[in-house]
Amino acid sequence: MATTQETKPDLVTLTIDGKSARVPKGTLVIEAARQVGVMVPHFCYHPKLTPDANCRMCLVEIEKMPRLQTSCSTPVAEGMVVKSAKSDQVEAARKSVLDFILANHPLDCPVCDQGGRCDLQDFSHEYTATKSQFQELKRVFQKEYFSPLIETQMNRCVQCLRCVRYCDQVMDVKALAPVGRGTLTEIKAFGTHELDCEFCGGCVQICPVGAITSRMSMYEFRPWMLKRADSICGYCGDGCQITYQTKNNSLIEVSSTHGSGRNNGDLCARGYFGYHVSEHPERIQTPLIRQGETFQPAIWEEALEQVGQTLLAIKQQHGPDAIAGLITGRCTNEDLYVFQKFMRGVVGTNQIDSSVRYGHLNGVRALQRVQGTHRWTVSFDDIVEADVLLLVGTNVTETNPITGLKIKEAVKRKGAKLITIEALQPAVGTISNIVNLAHHHFGVRADGFQGAVLALMKSVLETRGMAEDVKASATAYGNDLMAQLSGLAWSRLENRTGYSLSDYGHAASTFCQGKKVVILVGQDVLRASGGYGMTMNLLDLLLLTGKLSNPGCGVAPLAEENNDQGAFEMGAVSDVLPGGFSIDHAESRTAVSKHWGRSIPDSSGGALPQFLERMQSGAIKALLVVGENPLGSLPPVSGIEQALEGLQLLVCQELFMTETARKAHVVLPVCSSAEKEGTFTNTEGHVQAVRKAVEPVGDGRPDWEIFSALSIIMGDSMEYGDVKEIGKEIRNVLPGIRPLGPTPIPSKPDAMVVCGYVGGEYRRDLDSRYRLIDEQPDFSDELLVSLRQSLFHSGKFSLKADGLLKVESEGKLYVHPDEAARRNIGEGDQVDLCNDRGTIRAKVGLRERIPMGMAVFPEHFDQEMRGLLSYAVDPETQVPYYKLAQARIVKV
Amino acid sequence: MNVKEWIKTLTFYEILLGMKATLSHLLKYRPITMQYPHEKKSLPSNYRGMLALLRYDDGTEKCVGCDLCEAACPSRVIRVVSAEVPGEPTKRYSKEYYMDMTRCLFCGLCVKACPVDALGMTQEFEWAVYDKRQLHLNKEQLLAIGDRAYPVREKRLEFQHPNVAYFNVGFKNIPEKDIQ
Ligand code: SF4
Ligand code: SF4
Ligand code: SF4
Ligand code: SF4
Ligand code: SF4
Ligand code: FES
Repeated sequence: MATTQETKPDLVTLTIDGKSARVPKGTLVIEAARQVGVMVPHFCYHPKLTPDANCRMCLVEIEKMPRLQTSCSTPVAEGMVVKSAKSDQVEAARKSVLDFILANHPLDCPVCDQGGRCDLQDFSHEYTATKSQFQELKRVFQKEYFSPLIETQMNRCVQCLRCVRYCDQVMDVKALAPVGRGTLTEIKAFGTHELDCEFCGGCVQICPVGAITSRMSMYEFRPWMLKRADSICGYCGDGCQITYQTKNNSLIEVSSTHGSGRNNGDLCARGYFGYHVSEHPERIQTPLIRQGETFQPAIWEEALEQVGQTLLAIKQQHGPDAIAGLITGRCTNEDLYVFQKFMRGVVGTNQIDSSVRYGHLNGVRALQRVQGTHRWTVSFDDIVEADVLLLVGTNVTETNPITGLKIKEAVKRKGAKLITIEALQPAVGTISNIVNLAHHHFGVRADGFQGAVLALMKSVLETRGMAEDVKASATAYGNDLMAQLSGLAWSRLENRTGYSLSDYGHAASTFCQGKKVVILVGQDVLRASGGYGMTMNLLDLLLLTGKLSNPGCGVAPLAEENNDQGAFEMGAVSDVLPGGFSIDHAESRTAVSKHWGRSIPDSSGGALPQFLERMQSGAIKALLVVGENPLGSLPPVSGIEQALEGLQLLVCQELFMTETARKAHVVLPVCSSAEKEGTFTNTEGHVQAVRKAVEPVGDGRPDWEIFSALSIIMGDSMEYGDVKEIGKEIRNVLPGIRPLGPTPIPSKPDAMVVCGYVGGEYRRDLDSRYRLIDEQPDFSDELLVSLRQSLFHSGKFSLKADGLLKVESEGKLYVHPDEAARRNIGEGDQVDLCNDRGTIRAKVGLRERIPMGMAVFPEHFDQEMRGLLSYAVDPETQVPYYKLAQARIVKV
Repeated sequence: MNVKEWIKTLTFYEILLGMKATLSHLLKYRPITMQYPHEKKSLPSNYRGMLALLRYDDGTEKCVGCDLCEAACPSRVIRVVSAEVPGEPTKRYSKEYYMDMTRCLFCGLCVKACPVDALGMTQEFEWAVYDKRQLHLNKEQLLAIGDRAYPVREKRLEFQHPNVAYFNVGFKNIPEKDIQ
């Protein structure tokens, strides 16, 4: 029964326009035709959607079949003879279909943004339906403003319903609906008057004509003016392929092609509408040098000289460890690599860190420790093919929308079972909610995921026991874990999570039935206290059920920033060398330093929380900040403000004047990801090429050039001709790094490491991982405020994106309508949130998916909110936790 | 050398032949220079003179900002900046429209390309200027040329034929088609 071999699909042979095709059984004729190079014209068919066969454009003649058939809904059969281009009957049919469509079409191609790349235009030219049989007046729809980002022009609609089906089947948003009948069918937004949805832009991309278009680029271009550059989105860790379309060196629009990239042509609002960030008028244009309270524009030579000389002086006077560096995971791999090489090789310190430290490190570290790989052992394709998906602490639609689409595809189209442990409650809203699709949902508070994870583990192991081979080969490990889990009383777990033994039992039996099990771990686990322990526990769960090494199974921590994974792999973390090796590992250190011809300091240097302390004590004199904004993201209790105050030199390499940059001594302008070359590594560990679409704004330079220039000034030159040279060096230093390719090859767990882990390594922190975190005292009056990512933003960066601000321009404190009613608060009311750290004011928004007793605030607007946050540091991974606050809510 | 050629050489035959036209005019004298600018030539109706932007009979600009003239022009004379008409969703117009007439070769391709007949070639040719920059014309200037060159204006497209759809209308207050 449990064969891993897949049975080969039966192949069918047929002839299409005289060409012979061999395709798997069940393939549609239109697809088979495409494979042998026969393009059958079509409107309503799209490979992503279920066939609807409503437009009749794809009619073909099939021998032995009575009438013409729609090739988009007819599956192939052995020996079929299909005629498409070579049949007069078909030609005439297509002509008349077009005649029907054009009878109502306004023929306003000159003013239509689709004009020049429109299927209807192309087919009309091809089938020359120039003379109409119709004398009637054309239909005219009343036009109303549709939405801030998307506009419709229903007179142009061919009623193929692709947009409606896409929004439902792929996005699971269901924002669009056909209204009316026959030729008077009109596509409208559901419910509300103005469209309010995920703004993924999918309907714009999939509409074969110009009936749905983007407002952001409206009338700014004609397709023939655009230059294209295929690149990778710079927002989240999903790493979508995007094509920048530019005109006269300015970004006009972004698109993604079906069949390309890890996203297969789907995008989210950030990717599709967020591109204006790089052309924002507030971009820093020249290097700036502080003079008293203000900044003076400077030339590069002057600014670099000042930075280089000051760094040298500090290094000579106080030693290399008086210098620290912090870089963002939004940089390219090449930037990150050169940064850490500069800090380690030229400055001589391991005091570096990056945004991986904010959470993703928890996941990667756990993977490394248990299975010896820092990458996922699954890919997006495995998520789609999985039988059971377990989501822990992630509202994946908002944090990693494309991973979310893979999950939706797995559940809705492939029948996978979904178990979620998430704070949000099932409720329909304007944006999709992954827990609505869950077969077993455990809605626990954001600080209580651990209870549900342990309860599920306990249930799995108590009802099914552990896998036979674990029992045999790792007896001690198995027994120890069983003992830990039996030590947890069901009554406590039930009490803590609010779900009963039998609830967990049902989920456990679903879990155990899965052959391909993927566990996705989200930000709300990784960035919250106990995140590392919980990821370890989930890995234990896979190990104990014998699935860890099975193909298609694995634990997948989701990266927040586009290149968090790359930041780790390039070694932009204090205790990690390029390739993910530990800095304490002398052999790797020698290997890397041999490549560099420079020695690498062996002291681990300390992570971000430590160097915050060292900055406060005055031991660190200079800080290089690359694209990070610690002052804007860490809470005041972390002491960040005082830490920056005492610095002799604060250098910021930035696109915008952030809070941190305002405190800097020197600010250096850099390139956005649309302005430079390089590579990003997405959350699955797939390395993808980033290409330059426009020239840098002002004097901006890529980050690596700045480090390279500084190294020359500091007398230890580290020169590179271009990005490719750095790439070559990276591949030499890390032979393991995979080259660019269309699809990633997932890592495999390292049997040696797994052996070592079950052989005793696991004991180190076993007790702490399996001890229920102490219960928070329950103040019925207080709310647990959770800072979460919103679908429409990514970090603080996207707050400069025009399009995204049109959808979400301010942070609201979202609570459940009942919770609000209980406190007599309504939508839009001002409230005060107070706890012993302070009081802040916020506007209330109502959302049914927020559980009672909790409030969610988008982290991008958290400027004031940070004053209320608690701050803790993980003892094992040094990850700072600061996303939760307990506060009272008072109506103003 | 034969006798015939010998005589030709003696009588300067080639020179006379070359001056035949001159000599004949010497006899029947008639002035052909026109006293421009006091006198003006009548131009053929398809004369390709200065370009102009036109209006409909209700005074609205015909141009919909489609950029097709820009695409058609072989010498990159035209630059169109199109936009949505404020307050009228999806209605398109040219927010800015420039012609650099120093480069124009009066081929008329732009006029041909325009889908709404918004461009016309006038009979104007007296456009000599002291400063080349004055030949860089904007939309207002081009419309003004149109106004004086085409006093008779067309009806809006959709009212010209019952089966023509409303073209580039803001769809707020759609006028009734009062054609049978
Ligand atoms: S943009 Fe909105 S309406 Fe269009 S497909 Fe995406 S979610 Fe649906
Ligand atoms: S709006 Fe576009 S995608 Fe939607 S039904 Fe009309 S033509 Fe099809
Ligand atoms: S933000 Fe993430 S999901 Fe959205 S387009 Fe970019 S990479 Fe894709
Ligand atoms: S007449 Fe010819 S050269 Fe002059 S603007 Fe028109 S297309 Fe260009
Ligand atoms: S003049 Fe005609 S062709 Fe040129 S932009 Fe205007 S409408 Fe289009
Ligand atoms: S594509 Fe087959 S009927 Fe529309």
